[in-house]
Amino acid sequence: MPDALTVVVQQTINGVVLGSLYVLVALGLTLIYGVLVQINFAHADIVTVGAFAAYFFTHRFGGHYVLSIGVALAVGAVLGWLINSLVFVPLRRRGSELLPLIATIGVSILMENASLAAFGPIPYAFESPYSGQVIRLGRIFISLQHLLVIAVAGVTIGLLYAFIRYTVHGKALRAVAQDVETAGLMGINPNRLIMLTFVIGSALAGLSGALLGPVLVLTPFAGASVIVKAFAIVIIGGFGNMEGTILAGLLVGLIEAFTTQLMNPGLIDIVVFALLLATLALRPTGLIAERREENV
Amino acid sequence: MNSVLRRLALVTLACAGLLIVAHGVLVVARSQAQEKVIKIGALFAFTGPGSYFGVQDKQAIDLAVEQLNRTGVNGYKFQVSYEDSACAPLPATQAAKRLLEQVKPDIVLGEECSDATLAIMPLMAAAKVPLLNAGSSSIKITEPGNPWTFRIMPNEVMQGENIAKNAYERLKARTAVLLHENTNAGIGNADIFERAFTKHGGKILLRIGFGRDLNDFTAIATRVAGAGHADVIPTYTLEGQGLKITQALAQAGVTRGGGGKSIQLGTIWLPFGFDKKAGKAADGYVRIVQFDPTEKRPIVQDFVKAFKAKYNEDPTHINAHGYDQVLLVADIVRRGGKDPQSIRDLLADTRGFPGVTGTVQFDKTNQNVMTDTMHYVETQADSSWKVLDWQ
Repeated sequence: MPDALTVVVQQTINGVVLGSLYVLVALGLTLIYGVLVQINFAHADIVTVGAFAAYFFTHRFGGHYVLSIGVALAVGAVLGWLINSLVFVPLRRRGSELLPLIATIGVSILMENASLAAFGPIPYAFESPYSGQVIRLGRIFISLQHLLVIAVAGVTIGLLYAFIRYTVHGKALRAVAQDVETAGLMGINPNRLIMLTFVIGSALAGLSGALLGPVLVLTPFAGASVIVKAFAIVIIGGFGNMEGTILAGLLVGLIEAFTTQLMNPGLIDIVVFALLLATLALRPTGLIAERREENV
Repeated sequence: MNSVLRRLALVTLACAGLLIVAHGVLVVARSQAQEKVIKIGALFAFTGPGSYFGVQDKQAIDLAVEQLNRTGVNGYKFQVSYEDSACAPLPATQAAKRLLEQVKPDIVLGEECSDATLAIMPLMAAAKVPLLNAGSSSIKITEPGNPWTFRIMPNEVMQGENIAKNAYERLKARTAVLLHENTNAGIGNADIFERAFTKHGGKILLRIGFGRDLNDFTAIATRVAGAGHADVIPTYTLEGQGLKITQALAQAGVTRGGGGKSIQLGTIWLPFGFDKKAGKAADGYVRIVQFDPTEKRPIVQDFVKAFKAKYNEDPTHINAHGYDQVLLVADIVRRGGKDPQSIRDLLADTRGFPGVTGTVQFDKTNQNVMTDTMHYVETQADSSWKVLDWQ
């Protein structure tokens, strides 16, 4: 394979891996926004706690890494349930849209500092048994960890899509996203559906933490380091738009890989955020489609 | 009559009691007033990607102060006030202002990151408080000559020229790829290596700078792999990113840890323990540290023993230079330092101070000129490290 083609293939693989990770983080954000029309700033910290849950399950309790992904998903789900029950349900009852938004910032700061107190500031070495196992085809390489990331992201996206499109709960979720009051009149319990959305979105955050843990630098600030990109992806893809989020996530991953190859990794943020600004200017509703009444 | 006498006796007793208590309070207050204290401000990162510096510096500073305060020095005890400067200019500036306004220190220790140190230097100079720095390598810190800032570690020129010479002569390296974070220290260290290595006859194949927010280094490793064979890869990053770069280079089959031939080179930014965290990927990594715990000098072995006794772990070189900073302050106080001005003047006169990291002797720019504080270590295949007999 010619050198240039090898580089293109390799950086495409790198971009897809990175993009898959971003998609997993961003999907939870966009799901919650799609139903609640609310930005969850605490999402980054659920990613962090998910990563630490997976780390401790594997490194302290001797659990298998693949199982730790399930543990992180469960931890994320429980956190989502707790945050919604203890913070957002009472605030939504007051009828203010601003209070829950501010509360997510408060929850985020609280969780970040609690993580700092619990785990300390020194980076953890989160070793997945698959990080060191590399498949090589000529000069092309991919680690099993990266393959696992792509596989889990693919399966998760498929399951989420199927759930939303074809199950009763998924259809009810779309109904709530379209019109909460009308959905209530149709016999749907909106509060239960909102809880379900929070639990699924947070479970996705926990899961992505387990996959990100071996990739990024694991500290109490780990989630914060990817959340800015995740927000950018949600905006580029269109708030609440699942397909747009997937496309934007992969696009940002590829942009990072090819900016590193062709220019300089120091320019990544400039390119990504220039794309964000261009999207806002030219297609403010996102990459794929004009905003619909419901996007999930 | 009896009751009157009884009352009088009670009042007398009460007054006597009050007098005794008041006397006691006065004695305690006077003794406290007489206890002389050297106030040390400590600006280190306790949050963010450089927080491992602050945590390790604090361990050793606390140990040194505990040891010194058992007897005091020249009648002085030491009191340390920590502020989180977060390894970045803005929080460092805010922390320095808090420290100067609220604590009014006689001397300040810190920061570790060059950008943060450069940001606080003007504040220290304006307040006329000496700043004793151990961990920042940027030449800009001492090169113009700042009377209030002193550095005990080798600067980027001393490290960069030395490591380039060793790469060329000992490792027979002729090609290099440079990886560095886009900070004053990252860029400065890479510049010095590039200049020294090419002067020796080596060639730089590629140079890549990146921000501290970059998480995934696979794309960079891919680019390095495609740049042709690099004998050495000098890398200038904090520990977290350093781990990920080392692992990505191994995955890409570039370095010895991944079956390649390139050798990663590093500086004192990485603490001991890095090798274990990076695992097999770090095999063959050669880097400068500022402390050799296997040195036989009694001061070194006493420090290792005391540190182990207090924390049940081996000291790192970051612990060591935190410890040396306090020992040097104590030495200044022993020589008569008592306030910021006298401490500054005596610091400038420091000649041949023996610390656990090596010797300290400042030149006219307040840079420690002694290079015995530089030690090389190499990561072994089993993730342990061994000291190299390099100068």
